[in-house]
Amino acid sequence: MNIRRRSAFALLAAASMALVGACAPGNAGAPAGAPSAGASSAAPAAAPYKPAVITLGTAEDSKGPAIAPEGVVKGGTVTMIDRDDYAHLDPAQVYVNTDANMGLLLNRGLTGYKRIAKGEYKLVGDLATDAGTPSDGGKTWTFTLKDGVKWQDGAPITSADVKWTIERMFAPFVTFGPSYIQQWLTEEDYKKAYKGPYDGKELDNIETPDDKTIVFKFKTPHADANYAFAMAGYSIVPKAKDTKEKYDQGPVSSGPYIIKSHVVDKSYELVRNPNWDPNTDPIRGAYPDVWKLEFGQEALQITDRLVADSGPDQTAFTFYAAVPPERLQQVLDDPNLADRRMISPSPYGNYYYFNLDRVKDQKVRQAVNFAWPSKQIQQTLGGPNAAALPTTILNENTTVGYEPYDLFEKTTKPEGDIEKAKQLLAESGNPNPTIVYAYNQTPVQEQVTVVIKNALEKAGIKVVAKPLDRKTYYDSISQTKNEFDLYWGGWGADWPSGSTVMPIIFGPVSDGGQNMSHLNTPELSAKMKEISENPDIDAANKAWMALDKEVQEKYTPLVVAENRIATTLHGSKVGGAEIDPQQWVVSPNTIFVKK
Amino acid sequence: MTTPTSTAPAVDATSVTETQEAVGRSPGQLMWLRFRRDRTGVISAIIVIFFFLVAILAPVIAAVYGKNPYTLYGQDIPGLLNDYGYPVAPNGGISSEYWFGLEPSLGRDVFTQLVYGIRTSLGIAVVATIIMTVLGIVIGIVAGYAGGKTDYFVGRVIDLTLSFPQTLFIIAFMPVVDSILVASNEEPPVWLRAVSLTIMLTAFGWAGLARLLRGQVLSLRTREFVEAAKVTGASPARIVFKELLPNLWTPILIQSTLLLPAMVTAEAGLSFLGVGMGELVPDWGRMFLRATQVYRNDITYLIFPGVALLVFVVAFNLLGDSIRDAFDPKIKR
Repeated sequence: MNIRRRSAFALLAAASMALVGACAPGNAGAPAGAPSAGASSAAPAAAPYKPAVITLGTAEDSKGPAIAPEGVVKGGTVTMIDRDDYAHLDPAQVYVNTDANMGLLLNRGLTGYKRIAKGEYKLVGDLATDAGTPSDGGKTWTFTLKDGVKWQDGAPITSADVKWTIERMFAPFVTFGPSYIQQWLTEEDYKKAYKGPYDGKELDNIETPDDKTIVFKFKTPHADANYAFAMAGYSIVPKAKDTKEKYDQGPVSSGPYIIKSHVVDKSYELVRNPNWDPNTDPIRGAYPDVWKLEFGQEALQITDRLVADSGPDQTAFTFYAAVPPERLQQVLDDPNLADRRMISPSPYGNYYYFNLDRVKDQKVRQAVNFAWPSKQIQQTLGGPNAAALPTTILNENTTVGYEPYDLFEKTTKPEGDIEKAKQLLAESGNPNPTIVYAYNQTPVQEQVTVVIKNALEKAGIKVVAKPLDRKTYYDSISQTKNEFDLYWGGWGADWPSGSTVMPIIFGPVSDGGQNMSHLNTPELSAKMKEISENPDIDAANKAWMALDKEVQEKYTPLVVAENRIATTLHGSKVGGAEIDPQQWVVSPNTIFVKK
Repeated sequence: MTTPTSTAPAVDATSVTETQEAVGRSPGQLMWLRFRRDRTGVISAIIVIFFFLVAILAPVIAAVYGKNPYTLYGQDIPGLLNDYGYPVAPNGGISSEYWFGLEPSLGRDVFTQLVYGIRTSLGIAVVATIIMTVLGIVIGIVAGYAGGKTDYFVGRVIDLTLSFPQTLFIIAFMPVVDSILVASNEEPPVWLRAVSLTIMLTAFGWAGLARLLRGQVLSLRTREFVEAAKVTGASPARIVFKELLPNLWTPILIQSTLLLPAMVTAEAGLSFLGVGMGELVPDWGRMFLRATQVYRNDITYLIFPGVALLVFVVAFNLLGDSIRDAFDPKIKR
């Protein structure tokens, strides 16, 4: 037997051993699509998720200190691991949820969300004594600052700082932050109306009668302005220490911590701010003495580290790195991880938009909705533990007064009703329409596209699947003259109200804009304007929910897409870790280190 | 020692024992004889032929087996996949219905995927290898035979092609091809991907063979029989086809049998990197890619494309070796 033959035999042996070793066990769990699979019994952690309840707090609620989580321990060092460093530290430039979360450790705003219990939050005054007092039908808002609130250098926080904070957001260098308050104070194109305070000009509809009182006078009524002020972008910046563009490198802290060191894209070390008084702060617990933030690891590595839970990783957690699909079954099936996982569906609205300029027949749009393979897409994404199947345009997590409805029988037939779709198509006069479905060319989306194509073709709809380059996906679909019929897009509410969703996704149609279905009727616009300016916030929230249903009934501009569910782990010595249902990141406010 | 006369008795003695019914054998027959004696070579050849047969007969096999590689069985029939999208039955869902189990998530049949996957891989590899071989022969002989400036120029082109970072180039170039050639509201057709993959693989694969043949031709063209042919006034075409080519068949055959498995792996590799065939076309490389993502929960799905690819490439490489041995028994390791 010569060498070559021997090696051939060795290979053969290795291959057959691999085959013998391949007796893999079956994957336990309820078979998907089984009649009883509505409430999944597959995962132990699949208890029905309850959306967060957010209510308006009183002046009493706005008093510090924050409500401590059970078994809280003060002191110690906690480590946070994530993939990316924060793009912005200047509050005026903060819009992204991770940046906003970091801001909770360093900055304070007029209002904020106080955690009452798990899944229960109240909008309270943060620096202000309460969540603001509206007058003049919601056009004028008055806030009073608390006593004893200070900057990190011990200087008191005054109404002049608040006025300065809003005014500087008009400056040309501020390009990323929110724009609601600025628009309400001036006009739609607010940067044209006012150029910022740096050349000495002031905005006269922000009044500061004394050091503690601040009055905003908007052009139109805005009953939800106190929610807008809770955005991280409206956190306060000191007038005396403002360094304009350079402020982005490190803010003057008004929150519980100050930055001790920062290596860009690598790490942060945060230590206590001696001038922060917990008795003035109803929101931040600030239990650990030191925060260490580490960046540069992918979600997969972070998950593996937290699963292993060895040594220093026991006091580690992650703000944002959710368990990737390939580890999901492992993480969810491991009973040892039960008390270390956090699960929360995304607060964003995700939609498959129809291009109304091209798919003009509503019957076709309804047929696609009925035939939509929601259940199969969910399975492709990793099952009910990886994706929820909402039926409404507004997200249950970020809508005060959420009311579910189900127009297309998705709760009873999540796998799609092909017969009903066929019937609708027959009524439409074109039983075999062609739909150009544009998708983002990622491996997961390629698979989802196969599922969608398979389902719609059963109903007699020809699907042309058009892959788009990942980098230019959003640019391509947000062109108003695009040549696609159906594409995915998402939008997140800025505070829990339909007023930050509906007027944007059904707002002005422009290239690069957010109205991707191109639904824009004068009737709908008028209705949205009316609700936005309703001084009664409860009535407005009710009206948004009603409009949500009305839009789907009357126009059907979209298919409501699956909603991703994040599963996140934390180390065994980290306590109080909870995913903030609005920001979809682990909140730093309740974190503590167990002894 | 080397003079024929001095060893004449010895030759006689051996010829008596060995060639009792002395038959004249052509080099081809000799090669075939030697090849048949090489057991590894024969087994490899059988495996390779088997793979080709499976590829050709894929629709027949699928029809007999009663499944196709496109239907999402796992999603259409409840009870096959669990909530996470993994097969419920052990060993990746292997059963009498689904011989090799089910694909996770989409729930397509692995057996037919594998059988049709051979078609994709082999089809592209065979076409690319044929074109490459033809290109290599033509360019190699032209460069070697013409010499001078032509040789210099062709040599530099070969250098450039060999040193080009081809995988990177293909990854970057594929999406560009799609966006240029396909209208913005049309699906990129399957044949376009296949053709552009073939062209890409060919464009970077011909240079090795060409360089090898150029060297061979360079040494052959100064040999006496070529000189003699030139002196007798033979045309260049005659010299190339009748004098040079017959001496080049051995390296050509060996090189192309080694190129083919390399192309199969290259195609699978490109699919693995996401620039191969689309999700709708069964493909070994993409099966492999998906399998590496889900191996923790469904190792079986990794084994079928893995073992199939391994067996095929090893068999074809061993076959290439055996052919070389048969042609050229002096190189015995």
